[in-house]
Amino acid sequence: MKMKNKASNSILRAGAVWTVLIAGIAAAFLAAVVIGSSRITLGEVFSVFNGTAENKVRVIVTQLRLPRAILSLIVGACLSAAGALLQAVMKNPLADPGSIGVSAGASTAAITVLLLFPNLSYSVPLFAFGGAALACVLIYLMAWKDGVDPVRIILSGVAVNSVLGGYNSFLQLQNSDNLQGVLAFMNGSFAGATWQNVRIMGLYAAIGMVMVVLCIKSANALQLGDEMAKNLGVRVNLSRIALSAVAAFLSAATVSQIGMIGFVGLVAPHIARMLSGSDYKVMVPTAILTGSLTVLLADTVGRSVLPGTEIPVGVMMSVFGGPFFLYMLRKRGNFHGA
Amino acid sequence: MELKAENLEIGYGDKVIVNGFSMNIERGKITTIIGPNGSGKSTVLKAVTRLIKYQGGVVYLNGREISEMKPKELARTLGVLPQIHSAPSDFRVRELVSYGRMPHQKPFSKKSEEDERIIRWAMTETGTWQLRDKSIYEISGGETQRVWIATVLAQKPEMLFLDEPTTYLDISHQLETMQLVKKLNKETGIGVVMVLHDLTQALEVSDHIIVIKDGKKYSEGVPEEVITEKMMREVYNVDCDIIKIAGRDKPLIAYKQIGA
Ligand SMILES: Nc1ncnc2c1ncn2[C@@H]1O[C@H](COP(=O)(O)OP(=O)(O)OP(=O)(O)O)[C@@H](O)[C@H]1O
Ligand SMILES: [Mg+2]
Repeated sequence: MKMKNKASNSILRAGAVWTVLIAGIAAAFLAAVVIGSSRITLGEVFSVFNGTAENKVRVIVTQLRLPRAILSLIVGACLSAAGALLQAVMKNPLADPGSIGVSAGASTAAITVLLLFPNLSYSVPLFAFGGAALACVLIYLMAWKDGVDPVRIILSGVAVNSVLGGYNSFLQLQNSDNLQGVLAFMNGSFAGATWQNVRIMGLYAAIGMVMVVLCIKSANALQLGDEMAKNLGVRVNLSRIALSAVAAFLSAATVSQIGMIGFVGLVAPHIARMLSGSDYKVMVPTAILTGSLTVLLADTVGRSVLPGTEIPVGVMMSVFGGPFFLYMLRKRGNFHGA
Repeated sequence: MELKAENLEIGYGDKVIVNGFSMNIERGKITTIIGPNGSGKSTVLKAVTRLIKYQGGVVYLNGREISEMKPKELARTLGVLPQIHSAPSDFRVRELVSYGRMPHQKPFSKKSEEDERIIRWAMTETGTWQLRDKSIYEISGGETQRVWIATVLAQKPEMLFLDEPTTYLDISHQLETMQLVKKLNKETGIGVVMVLHDLTQALEVSDHIIVIKDGKKYSEGVPEEVITEKMMREVYNVDCDIIKIAGRDKPLIAYKQIGA
C-alpha cells in the first residue's frame, strides 16, 4: 500500500512540476507583454484583443512584444532539448551545443560573411546554419574510429572550437572598426524579432521536436552505459549520431535566427534533472519548459532593467547563468546519472 | 539454444588479446569461464554476445551467425550483464528492470500487459519485487546485483551472460547470488555463462568450466576434472591442495599458507 503511494507520487510530482512551470511561463509571458520602455497596462493588453486598443498600443503588443516573447519561448525550448540530448550522447553533464561545434561553426560562417562578403549579409542565417552543421560533421568525422566515443567527440570538439575560435578572432582583429553586425550575432538577441522569425523558428522547432520524441528511448538506454544499451538491442553508434544530429539541428536553427545564447542548453537540462529525475520521458518536457521560461525571463529582464538600453539575452544568460550554475552545483554537490 | 564459437580472434586496436579460441555452450547448462586477471574472460564474453567485434572466426547461435542477426533479435535471445554497469542514481528499481523489455517493444510503443507481467515475474524470481519503488542507490550491493539480473532476465533470453556477478559483494551476498543463478537455471531451464573468480563457487555451481590463460583456452570440462592442483599452478601460479570432505559433494581448495 505504502509502496503504491510512492509510485503514483512520482507521476503526480511530474504533473505538479509541469503545472508550476506552465503557470510560471504564463505569468512571465504576461509580464513580457506588459513590461518595457513604454509601459502598457493589463487593461490595454486586453483591449488589443477585443479590438478597442489605440493604434500605438496595438502595434507595440502585436508587432513587437508578442512575437518577441513567443520567439524566446521557442528558442529556449529548442536549446534545452538539444542540451538534454547531448548530455545523453556524451554521458557528460557539461555537454552542450557548444561542445559539438555548433556555436563556433555558426560564428565562423557568420563572421566570414559579415566581414568579407557584406553584400551577402541578408543570408547570414543560412550560412550560420550551414557553418554549424559543417563544424558538427567535422567533429564527428574526426571522432570516428570504429564508432563514436564520447571522449573523442569532446576532444575533437575542443580542437575544432579552438581552431575556429582563432580564425574568428583573427578576422575580427583585422576588421575591428566594422564589428557591429558581428557583435550582434555573437551576443544573441531578440531585439527586432518579427512574426517572420517566429514562423521560421516555429517550423524548425516543430520538425526538431518530433525528432526529439523519437530519440527519447535511445537517450534513456544510453544512460545505462554502452554495453548495457547494446545488450538491450540499441545500435549505440547510430543512436549517438542521430541524437547529436537532432541536437545540432535544433541549436543551429536558433543560432541562425537570433545568434548565440549560451548556458541555456546546459542549465535547463540540469534543473530538469533535479526536478524530474533522469528518465528522459519526463526530463525532456521539464527541460523544455524550464528553458522556455528561463530565456523569456532573461530577455524580459534584459530589455527592461537598464533604462534606455537593452542587454542582449545572450549576455544575460552568460552573466546570470554562470553563477546560477555554480550555485546549483554547490547546493546539490552531485550529478545524477553522470 | 546452443552457442558455438569457432577459432575466434579478438583484439582492441592492433593488439590481439584472444586468438584461436573455440567453445561450445550447450542449452540449459551453467558454464563458467575462469582465468587470471587480464586473461581475456570479459573479452570473450563480450565478443560472443556481440558487445564488441571480433576480427576472426565465427559465432553461431542456434546455427545462425550472430553477425547476421538484428541487434534486437539478438537481445531477445541473449541477456548480458557486463562487468561494469551503472544507471542514473534516481532511477527506481522497477523502472530499471523495465528496460529489459526494450528488445521486445516497438520503437514507440508503451509497456504492454505482457511486459508488465514479465517485469513482475523477473522481479519475483530474483526477490526484488518488494524493492520496486526504491531508488537504485538506496539498496544494498547484493540487492543491486539482483536488480540488474532481473533487468537482464526481463529480456526473456534463452541464455544469460554474467560477467563477475559476485565481485564487490560480501560472502553472504555472493552465495545468495550464486543460489539465485542456480535456481533460475533449474527452474526456468535458462542457460548461464558466467565469469567467476571464486573457484570454490565455480566448482559448486558449474556444469562446465572453461579455463583461459593469456587469451587462449587452457582446458575445459566438468569442474572436478578442470580444477586441479596442476591447473592452479600453471594458470594462476598458486600452490594448493584440492581436498574432498565427507558430506560435501564438491571438493574444496586449500591454498598454500600465506607466509609459509
Ligand atoms: N577496451 C579495451 N581497450 C584496450 N585493451 C583492452 C580493453 N579491454 C580490455 N583490454 C585488454 O585486454 C586484456 C584482457 O582484458 P579482459 O577484460 O578480457 O580480461 P579479464 O580476463 O576479464 O580480466 P579481469 O579478471 O580483470 O576482469 C587486458 O590486457 C586488457 O588490458
Ligand atoms: Mg573481466
